[in-house]
Amino acid sequence: MEFEGEFELDGVPPEKAWIVLSDPMAVRDSLKGCQYITPMGEDFNFDEYEAKEDVEMLPEADPDTVADRAFVAGQKYAALMQVGVGSVKPRFETTVTIDDRDDEEFEMLASGGGDASGSSFSMNSGMRIHELDDGDGARIEWWTEADVSGRIAQLGSRVINPVANKIVNNFFGSIEKQMSDVDEETNSGVTDRLRNML
Amino acid sequence: MSSEPDLTAEPEEHQHADDGGPQPEKHCGHGRGGMGEEVTRKEDKRFITGRGNYVDDIKKPGMLHCEIVRSPHAHARIEDIDGSRAMALDGVVAVLTADDLLEHDLATMPTLMDDTQDVLVNDKVKFQSQEVAAVIAEDRYTAKDAAEKVEVEYDVLEPVVDAEEALEDDAPLIRDELDDQEDNHIFDWETGDKEATQEVFDEAAVTVEEQMEYQRLHPAPIETCGAVADWDPGKDKMTVHMTSQAPHAHRTLFSQVSGIPEHKVRIVSPDVGGGFGNKVPIYPGYVVAAAASYVLEQPVKWIEERSENIQTTGFARDYDMTGEIAATEDGVIQGVKVDVLANHGAYNAAAQPSKFPAGFFNIFTGSYDVDAAYGSLTGAFTNTAPGGVAYRCSFRVTEAVYLIERMVKVLADELDVDPAEIRRRNFIPSDAFPYESATGWNYDSGDYEKALDKALEMADYEHYREEQQRRIAEDADKLIGIGISSFTEVVGAGPGKQCDIAGIEMFDSADLRVNPTGNAVLRIGVQTQGQGHETTFAQIVAEELGMDVDDITVEHGDTDTEPYGLGTYGSRSTPVAGAAAAVAARKVRDKAKSIAANELEAAEEDIEWDRESGEFHVAGAPDRSITITEIAAGAYMNSPGNEEPGLEAVNYYDPPEMTYPFGSYIVVVEVDRETGEVDFEKFVAVDDCGNRINPMIIEGQIHGGLAQGIGTAMLEHVTYDDNGNVTGGDFMNYLLPTANEIPNFETGHTVTPSPHHPIGAKGVGESPTVGSPPAIVNAVVDAMSHAGTSHVEMPMTPDTVWEELDEVGLSISPSENVSFEFDDGASEEPADD
Repeated sequence: MEFEGEFELDGVPPEKAWIVLSDPMAVRDSLKGCQYITPMGEDFNFDEYEAKEDVEMLPEADPDTVADRAFVAGQKYAALMQVGVGSVKPRFETTVTIDDRDDEEFEMLASGGGDASGSSFSMNSGMRIHELDDGDGARIEWWTEADVSGRIAQLGSRVINPVANKIVNNFFGSIEKQMSDVDEETNSGVTDRLRNML
Repeated sequence: MSSEPDLTAEPEEHQHADDGGPQPEKHCGHGRGGMGEEVTRKEDKRFITGRGNYVDDIKKPGMLHCEIVRSPHAHARIEDIDGSRAMALDGVVAVLTADDLLEHDLATMPTLMDDTQDVLVNDKVKFQSQEVAAVIAEDRYTAKDAAEKVEVEYDVLEPVVDAEEALEDDAPLIRDELDDQEDNHIFDWETGDKEATQEVFDEAAVTVEEQMEYQRLHPAPIETCGAVADWDPGKDKMTVHMTSQAPHAHRTLFSQVSGIPEHKVRIVSPDVGGGFGNKVPIYPGYVVAAAASYVLEQPVKWIEERSENIQTTGFARDYDMTGEIAATEDGVIQGVKVDVLANHGAYNAAAQPSKFPAGFFNIFTGSYDVDAAYGSLTGAFTNTAPGGVAYRCSFRVTEAVYLIERMVKVLADELDVDPAEIRRRNFIPSDAFPYESATGWNYDSGDYEKALDKALEMADYEHYREEQQRRIAEDADKLIGIGISSFTEVVGAGPGKQCDIAGIEMFDSADLRVNPTGNAVLRIGVQTQGQGHETTFAQIVAEELGMDVDDITVEHGDTDTEPYGLGTYGSRSTPVAGAAAAVAARKVRDKAKSIAANELEAAEEDIEWDRESGEFHVAGAPDRSITITEIAAGAYMNSPGNEEPGLEAVNYYDPPEMTYPFGSYIVVVEVDRETGEVDFEKFVAVDDCGNRINPMIIEGQIHGGLAQGIGTAMLEHVTYDDNGNVTGGDFMNYLLPTANEIPNFETGHTVTPSPHHPIGAKGVGESPTVGSPPAIVNAVVDAMSHAGTSHVEMPMTPDTVWEELDEVGLSISPSENVSFEFDDGASEEPADD
């Protein structure tokens, strides 16, 4: 299955969009059904991991903290997702690897997959942020190619598309709101740190 | 003196009943519950009062529960299996993988077609939901929770689910573990005379051709498969209660696979809630339960879920067929050609006699006298569940009957000849039996025109033909279609020399023991899954010994006590084990004569048996008579010096030939040109299964089979997506007919006894499933054939029918005038759970 789309954020510069989309915490809060996204070590255990509470979120968060936790190319992340598709509500233990991050072009590629009771999926995704032609805002282009196997594909084949669309729409709606909240000061601080990391 | 009535001749009472169509049959069993009486089913008391005893009802002390971990992928290499998270749950006893089974040499099992299937996947998953690991736990819920915690790492491979694509050069190789296997081709099979047939086609005035798919179906019995395995280390004995249509054959296979001596294996098939061919093969779950019980020395129960049953156990059909007929301008069929591509799934595991890779498909000349015939078939591996079981049919006869009955309709339309008339012109004449077909079958008896005539009359055929024309002339919104199927089956396998399963010849058996007080126990080698054996077989004995049917108990399904038999499938119970029961009863009767002579103080030659009264008497002195009850007492309490005491007999019956039941079905449908919906206006089924044992049970069998035929034609299809996901693998997506979809059936019969069967019976359980799909499709095609329709694929859902209506310009709202806006659901708000 292939999904793709784009959306525009008026008044949000690409740099700001890049910061929010680089923050696992912002992504977690925007992704319906996502319990956590966290860097994954060798002995990571989905059963034992407890998501941190009281995480500082943008715009209040300390820029250094946000920069420290930003997605890193080559890093593997564990994400726990619980999504209802038709009559099934599997708990997906998902692994995502950031394959590439381009801080100049604002492009990020990720691949991953997950398993839940009798179901599994794999995906290759990417996004790229463009400046709007009038210079006042960002256009975010995204794409994903997913293969779904097992029970969720058997039982939910007729409703996967609407569910996926709903998750995506909610995600970008929420991201947009978070971006509007991020003030200029935070923006520049984190951007500088991120650029320095390269 | 003749104690043996000529049952091959049609009894007077049967002829009488023959005239009456659906009216109740006049009894001819002398009032004791013998042949032809509508005896109430003995088994129904326990079923209706909830006292049936199915595998899942069996509970043993210390019993553990097995849950199978299945692959979400259709084609994938297993990199690693980690059961530690599952083992960490309270109540989990073991997580088994192929490695554990390898230690006991149980990692693979033979299929019925001499292939080898993984019990638990050793290296590569070959179809979705294949068995990867098993969890054994103290209760079923824990087992289920734990199964979800078994972590399997897969390297996902490209799958191929379509047989045609599987045979393409660049298709992924499914069976790479087999040394000689370089592609997905399994076998080629041929039948008939290719050159002679081609000659006929070259010179024929008319030829027709049609491609049709017999879609993948599942028998979908109401009870799924399951087992309770119980290894007794004190007796070194393995007892397995399991859903089996062939307990003895399964015992032999179990012994061969496990190495446990056969006399230390007991298979019990208790009450079974429907088999329809699904419970003929052995499945990994049975083996895993037995292996777990052996290792853990505790009883282990394994019960399938519905979706596991449909997605992994023996499917049926999946034949892509091309048929051709060569005929004269008058519609006299001269030659038939067929070419088939068969999807066998990931293993060659079809359930058919070893020597018949395409089952009895070469019965495809059907009820017609055809000079030349040729068939070819290719089998292919795909990343789908293995199977090819005979779902309520005798080994691929369903596919053959569908093909020829469809093709005859195609020919009739091509020549513009009435489909009833074209059949009449081609039937094997009733005086031509025994008849040898162009593909080598020896038909025992038949009177096809008689059955067709009766069906035409019952269906009010002429009336509906007129109504059909009237609707066409008036451009009516609803069209009438009339479909006919005049099918012939071949059932009752063996003979043993031709038909075997895993090398075991397909005979069957009966062991009859008359007790001192005059009642009897009949033990049979076949097993019932709801067919009513406990009644039917008792009626055979009642008829042959003059006993009351209530005085006979039929036992079956326990290999420790029953004589060896090959099982119930392919309508073989009555033709084979029924014959064995009759012969065993006649052996008892012969011995009874000697005892009667002793009791009546007469010479044995002077003793006659009177079928009417059910008594023995001295020739010329009917008053000097004795019943079987009195004889039984004599056998144990006053045995004659020249005979062993006791009164019992065993018969292992190897049938000399198969039997050929037949019938004519007529279906009238109304097709809605607006919606594509199909309504049944009339559904007539005339069956001829030879002499009838219990007309009520026969009628019940026919009703059930017709319902399954409607499911086949209108609803059912096991579908896959390109990733190998089974998208038709549960009752949300695999649609069984309900009472809503089932019309009123009008059943009738003719009686043409089998000349070689001891009681002239032929078997009937599968006729309706075999005969009805082509009648239904012919009816729907017939509603549109005036506009050019030659075929509609099954299942004929409303959208399929509407597309055909649109194609031939019959739809009321043609697609060219309508703009479709399909909602992809993006704007909808689906429920979260």
